[in-house]
Amino acid sequence: MTKAGDWPSYQRVLLPPVRDLHRLDVYRAEGGYEALGHVLTGTSPAEVIDKLKRSGLRGRGGAGFPTGLKWSFMPPPKPGVPRYLCCNADESEPGTFKDRQLMEYNPHLIFEGILIACYAMQLTAGYLYVRGEFADWIELMEHELARAYEANLVGDNILGTGFSADIFMHKGAGAYICGEETSLMESLEGKRAYPRIKPPFPAQQGIWGYPTTINNVETLACAPLIMTRGAEWFAQTGARTHPGPVLYGISGHINRPGVYEYPTGMLITDLLEIAGGMRGGKRLKALVPGGASVPVLRADMIEGVTMDADSLREAGSMMGTAGMLFLDEDTDMVAFLRRVARFYHHESCGQCTPCREGTGWMENLITRIDDGQGNLRDLDLLLDLCDQMEGRTVCALADAAAWPVRNTIRRFREDFEKRCKPAVWAA
Amino acid sequence: MPQVTIDGRVLEFEGQPRLLQFCLDHGIELPHFCYHPAMSVPANCRQCLVDIGAPMRDRATGEVRTDGEGNPVIRYFPKLQTSCSHVIADGQVIHTARTSEKVERAQQDTMEFLLINHPLDCPICDQAGHCPLQIQAYKYGPEGSRFEFRKVHKPKRVRLGPRVVLDAERCINCTRCVRFTDEISRSHQLTIIERGVKNYPITPPGVEFDEPYSMNVIDVCPVGALTSVDFRFQARIWEMTRTPSIATTHAKGSNCFLWVRDNLVLRITPRPNPEVNEYWLADEDRLCYRQFNEDRPAGPQVRNAAGTLEAVSWEQAISTAASVLEKAGAGAAFVGSARATVEDNWLLIQLAEQTGGQVVGFMEHIEAGHGDGWLRTDERAPNSEGCRRLGMTPVDGTMLRARLEDGTITALYVLEDDVIGLLSAADLQEVSVIVHHYHTTNRTLEVAAAALPAAMSAETIGTYVNLDGYAQRVRPAKVIQGASRTLMMQMGLSRADRHGTPFDRWYNETHYINCKPSWELLPAVAEALGAKVPAGGPRRIMEQISQRCDAFRGVSYKAMGLEGMPLPASIQLEAA
Repeated sequence: MTKAGDWPSYQRVLLPPVRDLHRLDVYRAEGGYEALGHVLTGTSPAEVIDKLKRSGLRGRGGAGFPTGLKWSFMPPPKPGVPRYLCCNADESEPGTFKDRQLMEYNPHLIFEGILIACYAMQLTAGYLYVRGEFADWIELMEHELARAYEANLVGDNILGTGFSADIFMHKGAGAYICGEETSLMESLEGKRAYPRIKPPFPAQQGIWGYPTTINNVETLACAPLIMTRGAEWFAQTGARTHPGPVLYGISGHINRPGVYEYPTGMLITDLLEIAGGMRGGKRLKALVPGGASVPVLRADMIEGVTMDADSLREAGSMMGTAGMLFLDEDTDMVAFLRRVARFYHHESCGQCTPCREGTGWMENLITRIDDGQGNLRDLDLLLDLCDQMEGRTVCALADAAAWPVRNTIRRFREDFEKRCKPAVWAA
Repeated sequence: MPQVTIDGRVLEFEGQPRLLQFCLDHGIELPHFCYHPAMSVPANCRQCLVDIGAPMRDRATGEVRTDGEGNPVIRYFPKLQTSCSHVIADGQVIHTARTSEKVERAQQDTMEFLLINHPLDCPICDQAGHCPLQIQAYKYGPEGSRFEFRKVHKPKRVRLGPRVVLDAERCINCTRCVRFTDEISRSHQLTIIERGVKNYPITPPGVEFDEPYSMNVIDVCPVGALTSVDFRFQARIWEMTRTPSIATTHAKGSNCFLWVRDNLVLRITPRPNPEVNEYWLADEDRLCYRQFNEDRPAGPQVRNAAGTLEAVSWEQAISTAASVLEKAGAGAAFVGSARATVEDNWLLIQLAEQTGGQVVGFMEHIEAGHGDGWLRTDERAPNSEGCRRLGMTPVDGTMLRARLEDGTITALYVLEDDVIGLLSAADLQEVSVIVHHYHTTNRTLEVAAAALPAAMSAETIGTYVNLDGYAQRVRPAKVIQGASRTLMMQMGLSRADRHGTPFDRWYNETHYINCKPSWELLPAVAEALGAKVPAGGPRRIMEQISQRCDAFRGVSYKAMGLEGMPLPASIQLEAA
């Protein structure tokens, strides 16, 4: 028995197998917006937050911060001080594509989650910041949001309960950095998306300088489920310290890549099996368990490791966004790292010196190694650059760029050494 | 009082100061680029990292935990913190690069990053010599670079506007220039474009960087990325001497430095003064420097029998002026000027009293609609408030013309100004005019009987009062011919150029203007008349003004110092 419990009989709840669920009538027929109705009529905001805290829901955007706690940080309403909710749908981490599925197949669950969060924190406006490349799903969601407005599920006096909240959709313009919560807020305000210094944290000064709570799409989508099925159900699904259903975005050299919904705490080996095993029956070489920026794991490191924060930390990686990238034995780890480094070089916003200059330098070095022109000392220089970048910038992009470089070189050093020019020893 | 420990030194503080500013105020140097005291704190250069520890407090009681010996237990932040954004709190312990290897290493690392894509073209860069990047790279940088790749190339020689050129490759993306246009001048004419290592500041499409304060971004730029169209490649910093002075094109009296090489003023930059102009200077105040070098007179002149101006000796010119005044007696009218110093205007009043003549007022230079309520003013001369406080009023042109016509005025003594415009040459046909002039373009010369070249604000000593009643001094930045001991005593002592030596390729005697300060000329004219006007240099003249004139009570050169002083409030004066 794994931490995930009886996963083979797990019933999908975030992405249930219902045809046309994105349509409002289908969603309502399946019991959608009932949670909202119950919450608005029979539950106090404090109870909602308490329920969320008891559920043990942790943010699904990568950092894994307890959501109920985050909501309780929000200062109480004060006349003349607007407060905002922001849903971060700027999903652009390489290897991560779970929010996109939610937006495509179950957008009303997101809206409902936003509204419940607005009610819990007594907010009147929620922003939905969507990555601009998701043009089709933005169109879809705008259409469905209009339907929800027509049905009086969003807007003034929702369902006649006297509670009013608006949802505003905002399109990003294609920068990875906008997924960072503070630069997302800058972008939302119409400014250049440079991350802000923290403190002040968003709960103190967020959008337009007012208190703001910012949550990932999947996190907010969990809220209605907790309200209908109860905090206990949620807390008992999956790993105890990191519970709930989670969308595993599985990609790489496997037979059936895709988004799979299962409880947290799944054995990585089970997930590999669910996804059809390695392509062509090859052996697994490496696994990136949570999006491109988390440390890569060697195949011999995943034995018995489950997909939850504790187990992955012990194994030397992180849960991240649960975007799992399986790499087979033929993978060239240098080329893999070159691609990752290129991404962070391209996406560094350029605000802080270490990240702006360091990401480019790293890509240069890795490219040189990949082209067979590198020296052994370049590997040490790369590790040095990781130290020089990590923890010295405003946001975590420098860390996210340094971790894969550091860990890929450390865990696959032989691959790199083989590609370098042989050492020249003094005669 | 709350305390912090910086490198083992215990310092007290009040309020909630930011660490970097606190350190700079206490003489503890921390390298930094993006931080500017007048602007917001983006903490993006990451150069000012320090190690900060705070005393551990007991969760329950809030008391500071102590070790066995009673010392507080210090817990350090897991990451290094940027001192520019850190607000210090009681009991914190801070280690800079002087006491922490970790910080030293971090500062070296950041500097290495800053330099990998910087062109390092210091030998041809205008900023070299006073470049924060250059200076701090020597002090805090690594010994070499491990970067072995092509540097990133970006646009060079981009004209952002009529006065500012951008070299984007030199830019280190501190965003000071962008923040200046967003937060200080509010023109929003600059922005950062591109992303990551390709970032650079530029104007939005279709916008020209032409705001009247655009050149301030050259001063705030910590590298040579933004340079002046006008001053580019004109001189090296170390060849010039800078002299603290006052800008003279507006009545705000913005503080500035005059940069002089071989007796030519080559540029003007702002001098911080929190009471007047903070850190800024209007573009016009900078670009007016040519007036100190060009069209300057060759020496005194008098009008000969043939009716043309003829070069004469100073003695002859002064005696001609004296005889004109003697002949006119009570018919002599004296015109002061908002361009002349308080001392010179006051001496003119004294001369008028001695000769029985009359001061008809001072010349104002109003350009309506020019001012913006900040550093630019409608008044285009530096000292109209000083003239007013001496009891003078602006010249009434209509009345003056009427009195010229009815013959009550037979001589006109014009101090450092041009009366043509206020009057016409025809008005002055019958009148003997004496003029102290700055430039050969002064149109009063056409009608002048005696023309006495006067020293300009860059060559003299004196006081200007700005429109807020703030008295400030000017100092001689360049040498004039036959300079007096008083002037030489006030010259900057560290004049590296020594006014040009015969070995310097730029040494040129013609740059010594043959003129005299009015505080020498006016007593000389009085002496030739047998009258007595206070002499002995502007310092003593100001002593007398402060004794005899209520508006200047308590004003002295010592009290003014470099930053100036407010005059007694004018309301009290009226009551007195």
